[in-house]
Amino acid sequence: MATHTVEPVIDRWGGGACPFAAGWRKVMMWAFIVTDGLLFAGFLASYGYARLMAERWPPQQEVFSISYLAVMTFVLISSSATMASAVVAAGASDRRATTRFVLLTILGGVAFLGMQAYEWAHLIGEGATLTHNPWGDPSFGSYFFLLTGFHGSHVLTGLIVLCVTAWHSAGGRSSANGVEIAGLYWHFVDLVWVFIFTLFYLV
Amino acid sequence: MYRIYWIAWSVLLALTLVMVVLDQMPIPRQTFVALMLGAMTIKASLIAGYFMHLRFERWPLVVGIILGLPINAAILYILIVPDALRIFGMTSGR
Repeated sequence: MATHTVEPVIDRWGGGACPFAAGWRKVMMWAFIVTDGLLFAGFLASYGYARLMAERWPPQQEVFSISYLAVMTFVLISSSATMASAVVAAGASDRRATTRFVLLTILGGVAFLGMQAYEWAHLIGEGATLTHNPWGDPSFGSYFFLLTGFHGSHVLTGLIVLCVTAWHSAGGRSSANGVEIAGLYWHFVDLVWVFIFTLFYLV
Repeated sequence: MYRIYWIAWSVLLALTLVMVVLDQMPIPRQTFVALMLGAMTIKASLIAGYFMHLRFERWPLVVGIILGLPINAAILYILIVPDALRIFGMTSGR
């Protein structure tokens, strides 16, 4: 009677039991980041198209204070650095340092949102709406409010996640993995701002 | 480990400062756009590589993430472009 050996599927695949060397929650957060990145990529591509088709796109230096935006960028990048430090502290099981760094990150996020709210109020005061603005192509207002508003809503979501993380960390209920995943989301928010700052405000 | 993040932070802030300074200078448009896009790519790489730890992850995860975005974008683009062109033709009367 002929016999044959059946190799285990895992050997034929050759990827090992855990090819990413990462937990499922981290891999899922990355999957979310990639799909959310697609959303922003589509948004920015649409903005690029509208801008190319516009007869007169308002010169950014006339509308915005670039130095004010640079400060906003400094604040958000700094909050990313404090969050990365929180992840290291969580990895070293240093609860106090983790909580302190997460709270500093929250402070940076709140400052950024406050500055964005001020920028919105300033532009609305000058007559900018979703459909109209005094500087040029009408779609400028739409893209400004939707791009920065959508990003701002991500910052707000990140702040809620960070508040929960800080609460858990202070109570000794957070895991290094949980802090790392919250950090991934926060850095993504920073990453998106790098693109918006360059493509919408500078170029 | 903290040190590497604060070095990345310093480079990110320095690059932002350079971008803002270049914005005030009379540089030809194409050069300016190229410089801004270059600085943006370096900043995004620093955030993804160091703050998001991609530089320290195992390569299958890194490849999945780095290729995942453009491949998905390409699929969406291929699916959407025919409709987008038809709508553009309808609105511009062509």
